[in-house]
Amino acid sequence: MRRFDRPWWRAVALGAGIAIVGAGLLGGAFVLSGLYNVAASREHFAITNAIIRLTLTRSVATRSMGIEAPDLSDERLAALGARHFASGCAPCHASPASVQNPIAAEMYPAPPALTQAAEEWNAAQLFWIVKHGLKFTGMPSWPALTRDDEVWALVAFLERLPESNAEEYAALAGSEGGAEDANLNFGEGRGRTEAFCDNCHGDAENPPVHPLAPSLAGQKEPYLLRALEEYAGGKRPSGMMQAVAAALAPEELARLAGHYAGQTGTATTPSDGEDEAIARGEEIARNGVREDDIPACLACHRAGTSGQFPRLDGLAPEYISTQLSLFREGARYRSTYSAIMRPIAERLSERQIEDLATYFASLSRQPGLEALPRPEASR
Amino acid sequence: MRWTCRAIFLSALTVLPGCSGVQSALSPRGVEALRIDPLFWTATGVGVAVTLMVVVLVAIALYGPPRWRARLGGDRMLIGGGIVLPMIVLTGLFTYGLLVMQAGAVRGGQEAGATVTITGKLWWWEVVYHTPDGGEVLSANELRLPVGRPVRLRLESDNVIHSFWAPQIAGKLDMIPGRTNQVVVEATEPAVSRGQCAEYCGGAHALMAFYVVAMPDADYEAWLAREAGPAAEPMSEQAARGREIFLEHGCGACHQVRGTEARGAIGPDLTHVGSRMSLAAGMMPNDAQAFARWITGSQHIKPENKMPPFGQFSDEELSALAAYLDSLE
Repeated sequence: MRRFDRPWWRAVALGAGIAIVGAGLLGGAFVLSGLYNVAASREHFAITNAIIRLTLTRSVATRSMGIEAPDLSDERLAALGARHFASGCAPCHASPASVQNPIAAEMYPAPPALTQAAEEWNAAQLFWIVKHGLKFTGMPSWPALTRDDEVWALVAFLERLPESNAEEYAALAGSEGGAEDANLNFGEGRGRTEAFCDNCHGDAENPPVHPLAPSLAGQKEPYLLRALEEYAGGKRPSGMMQAVAAALAPEELARLAGHYAGQTGTATTPSDGEDEAIARGEEIARNGVREDDIPACLACHRAGTSGQFPRLDGLAPEYISTQLSLFREGARYRSTYSAIMRPIAERLSERQIEDLATYFASLSRQPGLEALPRPEASR
Repeated sequence: MRWTCRAIFLSALTVLPGCSGVQSALSPRGVEALRIDPLFWTATGVGVAVTLMVVVLVAIALYGPPRWRARLGGDRMLIGGGIVLPMIVLTGLFTYGLLVMQAGAVRGGQEAGATVTITGKLWWWEVVYHTPDGGEVLSANELRLPVGRPVRLRLESDNVIHSFWAPQIAGKLDMIPGRTNQVVVEATEPAVSRGQCAEYCGGAHALMAFYVVAMPDADYEAWLAREAGPAAEPMSEQAARGREIFLEHGCGACHQVRGTEARGAIGPDLTHVGSRMSLAAGMMPNDAQAFARWITGSQHIKPENKMPPFGQFSDEELSALAAYLDSLE
């Protein structure tokens, strides 16, 4: 073979090699020299900004394909979202009732006011952004990635935000101080923390703002404390409750558990349900389903048993079915007690979950509902 | 070569203990098993004789004098030894086997005094004794038999196919969902033997055993009367605390302890669990320590069984619960 058969090949290859190595060396030298300014006080070039912006919109559009938005018209769902927004999002993003925190305003990029969000993004895109966050912007992902139901509550609120004035926002977020009160202060003479909890969960007289937030009045104290501790320790998934519980001191958790366990009277109005569904649910709750290896719910979930087993009577059907689904899908698995419930929930069919939710919701929570012995053993 | 021989000899030795002991099929202690026993020895004996004959013939063919070898290659030898002899031997064995196994007869067709229904579960055995007055005594993972009295076993399954095999009592019989297979068994001497599931039934198939306790008739009646009764009241303070925990933590959702409010029917009946030979279907000794291990770590002992792990107990609570269960004799 002769040496100069393909002279131009060698020239191109040599040139490309030098260019690649040179670019690498120059780039490395630039990074190591520290010349690039990472200061948040220094803005990007316009062209850099445009490229970043384009990358972001394209990524969100592509990644959110295939997400189906559920029905978000329920005002109560938006109210639940608004209440999380007030403590979880407004500190950076501001709200119709507040100006942006000057510190948050100096983030780069600055968190946008979300009044425009619903015009810029559709519901599926908003959902994706709230759930997954955005790299390099300071926007965090949802603390519990298994809780799509919670993320949708926030999206339901964001969809309403453009039309909201301060008054409407305050009403939606449950601020008693009205539009003037950006900080969600609550009435005097009550504990501020209790009022904050009541804002979503209701109290002995008022029902929860949305069924996803369970009524706590008269629930067992050890269970309430354990739930709060599991939220605080990241063992029970909820983007809303993990943030709230982690911010409270242990003795405060214990005090709150006692406070709600001690509430008498009931704000839970027994919800209507098809009589047949209630009867089917009651049969499962009292006797279980032997052929499906489903034990009787009431063997544990009633007043007379261990304080660690929550009572289910009077809880909203949506709450019960959501939690059972979380067990069944393996989202609630980290705690000792969820290890007991998870395999049982996995044996429940969709229909059985609905029937059970309908049955328990049809009961009004009374101090009693004591031991319910099975009518007959199967054999 | 010497090492290979030694290895084969040693591995053969390790198999030998299977020839005696609680699960040996070679020490029959039941009418059915005694009938099958000579069949095994006959078939084995004939097999050994045929093998020896072939070995001798091969040796002759290789090293024998030319005249013998010529005769071996002849037509008469081929037709006689290659066609006629196997036909006679195999037909004879087959006919004998049919006679012994009473092929075509219903194995449960005989008269029997008592009836026991055994249901294969994942992975344990539910055992129900039917009393003459129509009553039912619920137990699990152990079969008690009166010596010298035929007992009808009704074998069922409500999940997958299992096979009931108590080698010292009778041959295998499948437990098929939606069908009841019956066999009449009779223990011939008082003894404890072991059996196990003989049809692959899922991950923990190998962990599904049971004990057969054959006892003198009078003892059996006394035992059955006791088994039919409610659970013993806790004798110690610790056991009483254990019962409290048992009921408070919802164990009764799946387990029955007659005489308490625990009426569950998903897991084994625990009314007299302390008096059984073993725990977890022949997997563990029956003592308080084993109860504690099972309650907290059943998924490690028998993976994917239906019982969730109960890890919430303090040491004191777990000891009390185990002591209570152990006291249920």
